[in-house]
Amino acid sequence: MNDAWLWLAAVAALPVLIVGLSFLQFDVERLRQLAVGAATIMLLAALAVAASPRFRALSIRTAAVSLIPGGEAVVRVDALSAVLLPFAAGLWLLTVAVTPRAALDRGGLRRTAAATLVTLASFLTESAIVLVLLSVASVWIFLSALADPAHRYQRRIVAVYLGCSTLLFATGVALLIGPGVDNSTIETAGMWLIVVAALIRKGIVPFHAWVPEVFDHGRLGPAILFSAPQLGAYMTVVLIVPRASPELLRTIALLALGTAVYGAALALIQTSARRACGYLFMSQSALVMAGLDCTTPTALAGGLLVWLSAGLAFAGLARCVLVLEARRGRLDLTTYHGGYERMPMLAISFLTLGLACTGFPGTLGFVGQELLVEGAVDAFPVMGFAVVIASALTGLAVLRMYFSLFCGRADPPVHASLGLGLTRREAWTFVALVVALVGFGVAPRPLVDSRFTASVRILEQRRIRAGMPTARQPIRSVRAVQTILVNLASSDR
Amino acid sequence: MTTAGPLAWTVLVGVGSPAMLLAVLGTASLVNRPLPERWTGPLAAGVMLIACAALSTALVLYSAIETGTRVLSYGAWSSAHEGGIAIEFLLDRMSLGFAALSTAIAGVVSAFSNRYLHREPGYNRYFVLLAMFVTGMVLVALAGNVAVLFVGWEFVGLSSALLVAFFHERPAPVANALRVLSIYRISDAAMLSAAVLLRHVAGTDSLSLLFGGTIASSQIGLSGSNATIIAVLLIIAVAGKSALLPFSSWLPRAMEGPTPSSAVYYGSLSIHAGCFLLLRAAPLLEQAAAARLLAGGLGAATAVFAGITTRVQSDVKSSLAYASLTQVGLIVVEIAVGWYTLAFLHLAGHACFRLLQFLSAPNVLHDLHGMEDAIGDRPIPAVGLLDVAVSDRARRRLFLIALERGFLDSILDRTVVVPFTRIARRLTRLDARLCDAVVTTRWPGAVEGVDDRDE
Repeated sequence: MNDAWLWLAAVAALPVLIVGLSFLQFDVERLRQLAVGAATIMLLAALAVAASPRFRALSIRTAAVSLIPGGEAVVRVDALSAVLLPFAAGLWLLTVAVTPRAALDRGGLRRTAAATLVTLASFLTESAIVLVLLSVASVWIFLSALADPAHRYQRRIVAVYLGCSTLLFATGVALLIGPGVDNSTIETAGMWLIVVAALIRKGIVPFHAWVPEVFDHGRLGPAILFSAPQLGAYMTVVLIVPRASPELLRTIALLALGTAVYGAALALIQTSARRACGYLFMSQSALVMAGLDCTTPTALAGGLLVWLSAGLAFAGLARCVLVLEARRGRLDLTTYHGGYERMPMLAISFLTLGLACTGFPGTLGFVGQELLVEGAVDAFPVMGFAVVIASALTGLAVLRMYFSLFCGRADPPVHASLGLGLTRREAWTFVALVVALVGFGVAPRPLVDSRFTASVRILEQRRIRAGMPTARQPIRSVRAVQTILVNLASSDR
Repeated sequence: MTTAGPLAWTVLVGVGSPAMLLAVLGTASLVNRPLPERWTGPLAAGVMLIACAALSTALVLYSAIETGTRVLSYGAWSSAHEGGIAIEFLLDRMSLGFAALSTAIAGVVSAFSNRYLHREPGYNRYFVLLAMFVTGMVLVALAGNVAVLFVGWEFVGLSSALLVAFFHERPAPVANALRVLSIYRISDAAMLSAAVLLRHVAGTDSLSLLFGGTIASSQIGLSGSNATIIAVLLIIAVAGKSALLPFSSWLPRAMEGPTPSSAVYYGSLSIHAGCFLLLRAAPLLEQAAAARLLAGGLGAATAVFAGITTRVQSDVKSSLAYASLTQVGLIVVEIAVGWYTLAFLHLAGHACFRLLQFLSAPNVLHDLHGMEDAIGDRPIPAVGLLDVAVSDRARRRLFLIALERGFLDSILDRTVVVPFTRIARRLTRLDARLCDAVVTTRWPGAVEGVDDRDE
């Protein structure tokens, strides 16, 4: 095992460490401080992984759990995953650093670390079977966050929607690797099942209803942590884009574009800040999906960039809402709550993160959306217009939220000395996030180049697969299991 | 940089200095450590002066060594793909002149605002937004491709909306800001749609090709119908930004901001940004007769409408705003007719004149009140042409239309806002019902009687 492997193992060990420590009798605040430290170290280490070309050679390939003859990488670091590792670490840091104390107990810290581990493992693999297992794990963690009786309704919605998604995903993968090997009809059916699973997971219309409901009445923190990494997008990039037919990709892109406009329009009229966040997430997530389903390097790179920018910006925006709720209770968008003077950092962070979500110039989102439009417009001009409309509507929705949450005359506090400002940890986390999004928006070259490299590689895989003969070898482990089952059955008889 | 000569450097200083001011003041605000007043005001005025000097020098240098247009490129965002997103400026006398004028006016307003907003709670916020605005105006003036133009366009729009909501402890400015922003977003969407179409039909977003006349347009394969559609979309963008009909209703709402911002935005620069864009797009308009006719018609209608409406406004800022709009309408007519030099001179002269009027309005009001106190009554208004030439009944109707500002707000509400809101609410309810249906369906192993959604 070389240094690079040790480095990667250390990155993955940090959330494991926090999960382990959560079972010990540590004080919760102490545990949280350790989690913040671990997340910071993980972020720095992941940035080192992303920056160093040495790590790009890392790969454990096996044909044992693979869809293709040459085998797939169960663990690998490539141009795509290298940038997703700091993304996952950043989301963990954001969660443990700014989530209000009341919303993050010992169990919450454990779930957060476990969810990060699952996200990290997902970003490191391209094996469909491993992705199915990790998908089950992530849904299970999300459901466990909704375990209290107050969220029984939402738990059931999540169980139905995401349960179906996981089931379809598993069935689709099973069809692809089993009977679909030499049968194009079954293979197509398997592909469709995986597509529907990804659409449900990403909240694409008509499979979207769970998103606003869970954001609005469920627990916002776990909903953000589950949604922001956009594992559905990863499923799309790794499993769907390299294999799906152009017609299928176009269908997905059209559904996604419709969702982008739909989510943005509905976010504009919501009376609940949480529900508006849910629709905003739908819109942004759909834009990512639309970009990923374009088969030009520029549009795909744009989609990959929007994935990062919208993920981080949206997670930050929703955390701002959570921080604000901790100080004011449930937030209604029909009135002006005031408070800019008392919380200027939060107000400015909220506005900047919201604008980054909408692709405002000077933020990373703008670069992503520009590439998306530029790349897609030749092959798919309707995408350009849909992105324009969605962007205009989300911009309005974000400004409406900002005006409602921070403008107007605030009610006088019960105790004049009661501080509503951010804690130091919250403040610096939001500032760092804003600086990152604006910094990469002003100087996006390294990130754009890396996304181009990743998109070219993905499209190269697609090209290779398109040129391959359809016959594929079923995975050896499945053959082995089939043989064992047949032997067992015959011995029973 | 393609040419690292003195011209490129002076343009870089001209564009970069307000951007640096925005970065410095914005970062200080973000970390909640705003600069003290005694630094902010002079710093802003000084930066505007530097930018104005740099752009004026660039104009002189350019006039001495060049004719026609020239593209300055400052590199691309990515080395991994060709074309597309690049930082490009399109230089000619008009663009450099407008950029220099913008920074000069911003410098005057900075110096004025330093005293006008002394000890105002939002002092620092005001200067952050002003820096964003000036950066946006300079980018709009010098943009060499659609991406750069859009950056500037968005900066102008956002800073405008946030300055309308400057006194954000009151609900009215905030509600009006949202309304202003709504119209701006329509304008933005129209401009971006034009860009999308341009990319689709011509494979480029270069403004030097789009605005480079018939030869350039034929080079990029822009046919008559495509040119017309792009030009119409640009006219919609211009109408939104410059408050032409049917988007004029946002203009009086925008007067909620502090007087210096009203002066620089709605008297002087922002309201002319649309006219400037139209002026740049004149070669495109020349190929699209229908679009040209549309622009002329909109300009003339706006001039008449604003000319009548300004007479019945009860506050000086709204009156001045509609007076500005009258001139903006005339400038658009001049562009449509093809009198480009006159249009540019009209634009520059009107921007300076209206700035002076807006900034001196509080003093004029003060003097007027003094005069009314001295004579014990209001001065008798002079009899105008309308009083003589138009019947009483027609005058009453005109008065009502002018007083209600053409009923534009209610028309917009009834035709766009109400239907949109109604449909969106229905869809929201549909989503909620879908969730109910999922929960109340008897799934295998379902829990009975689950209905605690509102807990």
